Amino acid sequence: MANLNINGEQKSFDAPDDMPLLWVLRDILGMTGTKFGCGVALCGACTVHIDGKAVRSCLLPVSAVSGRAITTIEGVGTTPVGAKVQKAWLDLEVIQCGYCQSGQIMSAAALLASTPTPDDSDIDAAMAGNICRCGTYVRVREAIKHAASERQT
Amino acid sequence: MTPAARRILGSVIVIGVVAAAGAALYVRGPGPMAFSGGPKVALADYKGPNPTGVPANMANASLIERGEYLARAADCMVCHTAPGGKEYAGGFAFKLPFGTLYSTNITPDKETGIGNYTDQQFLDAVRSGKRHDGARLYPAMPYTSYTYMTDADTLAVKAYLFSLAPVRAAPPENTLAFPFNQRWAMTFWSALFNPDTRFEPDRSQSPEWNRGAYLVEALAHCGECHTPRNLGFALDNRKKFAGALTAGWRAFNITSDKTTGLGSWSDDDVVSYLSIGHAKGHGTASGPMGEAVDHSFSKMAPTDIKAMVAFLRTVPAVPSPDLPAKLAPPAPPSHRDGMTANALGKTVFQGACVSCHGWTGESALSPMATLTGAWAVNDPGATNVAQIVISGTKRHTPQGALSMPAFGKSHSDMEIAAVANYVTARFGSKGSQITASDVADLRKQTEQ
Repeated sequence: MANLNINGEQKSFDAPDDMPLLWVLRDILGMTGTKFGCGVALCGACTVHIDGKAVRSCLLPVSAVSGRAITTIEGVGTTPVGAKVQKAWLDLEVIQCGYCQSGQIMSAAALLASTPTPDDSDIDAAMAGNICRCGTYVRVREAIKHAASERQT
Repeated sequence: MTPAARRILGSVIVIGVVAAAGAALYVRGPGPMAFSGGPKVALADYKGPNPTGVPANMANASLIERGEYLARAADCMVCHTAPGGKEYAGGFAFKLPFGTLYSTNITPDKETGIGNYTDQQFLDAVRSGKRHDGARLYPAMPYTSYTYMTDADTLAVKAYLFSLAPVRAAPPENTLAFPFNQRWAMTFWSALFNPDTRFEPDRSQSPEWNRGAYLVEALAHCGECHTPRNLGFALDNRKKFAGALTAGWRAFNITSDKTTGLGSWSDDDVVSYLSIGHAKGHGTASGPMGEAVDHSFSKMAPTDIKAMVAFLRTVPAVPSPDLPAKLAPPAPPSHRDGMTANALGKTVFQGACVSCHGWTGESALSPMATLTGAWAVNDPGATNVAQIVISGTKRHTPQGALSMPAFGKSHSDMEIAAVANYVTARFGSKGSQITASDVADLRKQTEQ
């Protein structure tokens, strides 16, 4: 029986130690907000936070994160930065099809938590691993800056 | 021909033969344990505790259990299993510059495996490189190392292999080019480079050292990757364990050299690296060494690991002049600082690598994913950095599983070269300058 701390709650479940965290989240715990995209850590759709850092969950064995604080898209809105990012996303209507957006929001929230006023190169460095096939990149960038300015007001 | 001419011709022939023999002996060089210098005795005449066999805690184990332990220590399975194939059923491809060699099925299947081998035939194959039909084996099979195994240990391995379920699987035909496809030529290679003798303990050394020597030399065959090869593609023990490129990966220097070998590692570091494939601040084993840890070293008794370390400690220092004298510290935490010149490399890194490895190189996820301190990122040839990007890694440690995806199919040779150069410049002390064609070459060596 494994234990994980997800969005501040303890969750217990049975899973082999090399099962990816994403499978545990979606298939065992039913937390389907985090998406499966490419399965090889290249698209960013599965991004979650481990101790506040944005990581890809699709290849991360569950045994590697026991005892760490895991935040998913279901929980990120309870943090001040996460709430601002979600509001900016709504204000600017960033989303088109939406599939990649939980990953985009998780990466953006991790960026703003560590770099409150990012410039374009900071946004590139933090968001490069999140791919959007609808091409919402321009609005993603704008929304990150919007959320950053919201922080300061 | 006058008597004088005959004498001259005779002398020329004698000189020629002596010179050829001298050259052959020079190329052959010293044996793998010659460096210790002490008096070697036949095992039967050795008074100390038996350095061969299984560790003391297995004294009451059955023949098959002993064979299983020894087969793991000799790491038979990794080479005799194709990716995704049945264990020990062969078909693993060795990509050589002159063709491809496939490992054989060593399950007890009577037609495609070794089910009909007698004890003597098995001993001949493992230790003399001679197949049951008399044909010679290629030295991809490390029989020049296994030759030091005792009869009892070799036959215990046979008993274990014969206890497995037979698998009917014939490996693909080798595709070696002429003259390498002439197996008979290996008779001469063997005569010159296979000592075909059993392990001889060194009386001047401790029992622990002798146990370590047997494990390292006869079973684990460390030298097959870590010792450079001579003109005849046999191990050059003048540079024993000084590191070499093997099968598309760089096996680093494991001599006692202080800057480029293991000289400055603590015993605990080496024990940890062998037991779990990671030592704090020294990086993580992947590629063939990761497999050796997962399938062989991690299954061995702690006393045996300690014995191997005791032996390794005494291997004379040989420096690796291409490696930097100092390993790089962690890189700056911001993407803006540190390496900036390589835009394509940075683009690939921030897209595919940074979420696990971080901008500093010290992974927030797992110490196993930390790049700082690893030889791979401090290697100006960037071989292992490029290779792990191409091939990925999957490790099973006592602490759990960990993997890195293979980016070989998602990224071009040029992108992989750029990210390897970026990574070695950002996290190492002497950045690499590899090209797309270097990456293409590395790919060819590990494709299955």
